[in-house]
Amino acid sequence: MTVPAEGPLGAEGLLDDGDQAILDRLAVLDDLLDPPPPGLDEQVSFAIALESVDAEVARLSEQLTAGSGARSSERTHSITFEAGSRTVLISIVAQPEGQVRIDGWLAPAAALQVELRLPEPAPSRTATADEAGRFVFDRVPRGIAQLLVQPPPGGTAPRVVTPAFTL
Amino acid sequence: MREVVAQLNPLLWRVARAQGLATEEAADVVQTSWLELVRRLNDIRSPQALTAWLITATRREAWRVREQGRRYAPPAGAADSLDAVPDPGPRPGDQLLTDERDRALWRAFRLLPDRCRELLRIVAQVSRPDYTAVAEALGMPVGSIGPTRGRCLAKLRALLAADPSWSGP
Repeated sequence: MTVPAEGPLGAEGLLDDGDQAILDRLAVLDDLLDPPPPGLDEQVSFAIALESVDAEVARLSEQLTAGSGARSSERTHSITFEAGSRTVLISIVAQPEGQVRIDGWLAPAAALQVELRLPEPAPSRTATADEAGRFVFDRVPRGIAQLLVQPPPGGTAPRVVTPAFTL
Repeated sequence: MREVVAQLNPLLWRVARAQGLATEEAADVVQTSWLELVRRLNDIRSPQALTAWLITATRREAWRVREQGRRYAPPAGAADSLDAVPDPGPRPGDQLLTDERDRALWRAFRLLPDRCRELLRIVAQVSRPDYTAVAEALGMPVGSIGPTRGRCLAKLRALLAADPSWSGP
């Protein structure tokens, strides 16, 4: 097989049929060997379907699973999300009937409203953190979810939004 | 938006993976980039600009996560699955590929320099109109993406030409 001479070179530089066939085959092999996780599209679509776009995005900074049980339902799972203005830490504890309880902390601590978004048709839930920054959502169905922390009233700070995560 | 997500995610996934992230990290990075995009949708004027913005954001976010991972190595025992181990790139894949020519192609591809692998994985995923977006996102002058892609493909074809299971009888 000979290497073809390149045509006029530019952003649209020419590809011969052999090059194109190789690129097409590479795309197929890449899809086969390293596919995106199956739930990624759904998770992204859910996360960005926010009503209002003015929000600071918190990064997932730590994820830990603790507990001796081999089954996921016997474990406690904790996730830390960090935004510039606030850190949100949650711990997810299994409850009966495939539900979970979310124990959360805001740092710095503040008595703010926290919204838990769930996929349609489930309505969002709201909790208010106490002065220590603690909040709880009880009996939440497993699946994907997202947290929004409202800013302190009167300020100019935006809301904080977490990525979608799996309960 | 759901269609756009489905269309661009395979590309963004590869951009994140090309920076050496494990699968879970790469998925987080892709999601974070989309969330950041939502805040800036009003500034983005065309589908090409959208693609370029997302590729750029995904690369930056992937670098950030990679550097952070180097600074804070996970404590022993925290990694309870293989997913937590940073992935050096596409798997060898020889076991998964049954076609001899596919195996030869993947072997040759893995021998390319990082920069070539990243570029080819990305251009293999996008249609022509997005090439300008890709060039911008990879920090390459628009005029050099064609020649670079050409050189990478030439290297790949030279490797393949030397492999009897590709060009054999």
